Amino acid sequence: MTLGLRGQERLRLAVIYILCAVVLIWALAPIYWVAVSSISTRQELYARPYKIWFPSQPTLESYQTIFTQGAKFRSGGFSPTAHLMGTGLRNSIIISVASAGIVTLMATGAGYAFARMEFRGKNPLFLLIMLMIPLPIWVSLIALYFLMAQLDLLDTLVGLILIFVTLLLPLSVWLMTTFVRDIPSEIQDAARVDGADRWRLVYSIVLPLARPGMVAVFLVSMLSTWNNFLIPKIFTKTDDSQPMTVVLTLFIGQYEVAWEDMSAAAVVTMLPPFLMALFFQRYLVRGLTMGAVK
Amino acid sequence: MSRRLFSSDSVYLAVVLLPIILLIALFIYYPAVDTFGQSLTNRNLRIRRPPKPVGLANYVKLVEDDEFREVTGRSFKVVIITLPLEMAVAFGIAMLLNQRFPGRGVVRTLTFLPWMLPGVVNGFLWGWLLNGEYGALNGFLYQLGLIQEYQYWLREPEHLIFWVTVVQTWTRYAFPTIILLAGLQSIPDDLYDAAKVDGASAIGRVRFITIPLLLPSFGIALVVEFIAAFQIFDVIWTLTAGGSAGGGMNPFTKTLMLYNYELVFRDLRVGLGAALSYIILLMSLAVGLIFVMRVYNQGVQEQ
Repeated sequence: MTLGLRGQERLRLAVIYILCAVVLIWALAPIYWVAVSSISTRQELYARPYKIWFPSQPTLESYQTIFTQGAKFRSGGFSPTAHLMGTGLRNSIIISVASAGIVTLMATGAGYAFARMEFRGKNPLFLLIMLMIPLPIWVSLIALYFLMAQLDLLDTLVGLILIFVTLLLPLSVWLMTTFVRDIPSEIQDAARVDGADRWRLVYSIVLPLARPGMVAVFLVSMLSTWNNFLIPKIFTKTDDSQPMTVVLTLFIGQYEVAWEDMSAAAVVTMLPPFLMALFFQRYLVRGLTMGAVK
Repeated sequence: MSRRLFSSDSVYLAVVLLPIILLIALFIYYPAVDTFGQSLTNRNLRIRRPPKPVGLANYVKLVEDDEFREVTGRSFKVVIITLPLEMAVAFGIAMLLNQRFPGRGVVRTLTFLPWMLPGVVNGFLWGWLLNGEYGALNGFLYQLGLIQEYQYWLREPEHLIFWVTVVQTWTRYAFPTIILLAGLQSIPDDLYDAAKVDGASAIGRVRFITIPLLLPSFGIALVVEFIAAFQIFDVIWTLTAGGSAGGGMNPFTKTLMLYNYELVFRDLRVGLGAALSYIILLMSLAVGLIFVMRVYNQGVQEQ
């Protein structure tokens, strides 16, 4: 009780920062460790007991290895996976950017319709789309697999994009509907009186104002597509369409493959989501929590 | 004339809504119905014969099957350990992030990171961290003198489920934290001030003001996290399942989703797998509903 007000405040901050350190260690230690592993030399990484918390000679050798020769076996040989990293990255980028772009456009158009227009069957249709959110997708996936086989869309990027767009639609439509609803309708009414048709209205008035919403929908969609494993696991077979999440599990599946190489592959797989989470977290949190809470 | 037609409202609606209706009907609702139809047959792609309708036999077979019961029990075990663990972590972090201090924004951004990473990466991260020969956890504890020799954390089958729940908690805790934080920020400061004047201790204030007022937030977080834990797949795949290309699945961490995957896509027992997917759907809905009603009732009684 001898502490002054300033002393008390200092003590409070000290306690808070100690607790923050504990929380950050819990949140970041596994990520830090895999990053360190990926730039360590084999001797240092496999030292027992391990006590080097930052490599004395950081090296990018593992990255070079996985992209040029395939992961190294412990016995010295290479697994025949060299091109998998390249195709995996390519496929992941194509699938996530295309799915996110398409779903953002579709959701914006539909969001405007649900928010600002009256038409027959509007409420049942909205409900039918939203009903997908709590439904476990597994009940659709089994028969969908055979449907995709009939349509000749198994193991193709187009097939994956179509599935992802469909799965992302409910959340995106719902987000865009609320975003458009929040845009003051007076501006639109004025434009309507001036004789602007729906397309002009959406393009020149709604689009600019709804841009933050569209950015959120795009980022959330891209993140969920990049991170998804179950869908590509089921619907891909070869490097034609396998994204990074599947490629990573193929590496892990081969025992005896060196941990420093697998760590490098893991870092590559998580780098885009990691950067998005650092720089666009506000958008992501908004989109992701709205979707779950409704 | 044609311009007029093109600009009419119904054309706009058709262009923006038809593709959505088509996609959802074709890729979600039709397969869902089809899956149910297949669950009533004995379709098995390993056996060359046209599938025959068998009624509810698949459902009966599953419910009476020992492996199904074991796997279901394991899924509920994962849920029962994960939810309290996750809520405790989330509540603690939310209380901390609710304080005012310089640098809070940065701490918050970094704290929510794991949630946004791919689940398969998270499973791998922890598998490597817990590795018995070279893992960092061993190195760390050994250096601190807490263990005398390296431990194989992921060797004992009965420990595996515990580690699965830890990794699931690490993957998901950000979401309940965000929900609880929003709940905390909506509690008016006067309530705490009044309690302080009345002589309530800090613990008493948490016990009698914070937690009761957070019940609705806890309810939302519990429902969402129940579904996430009940349908756990990615994390287990890379942590313990040993999901190598042709190899078997680790039987000690086989939960409902992994079992379903195995039935359909490895054993090709489509009819049985389809029935299982509907049982999982029913269980998710039932438990979700019970959760919602209990939490809602409690919230009503507290007021």
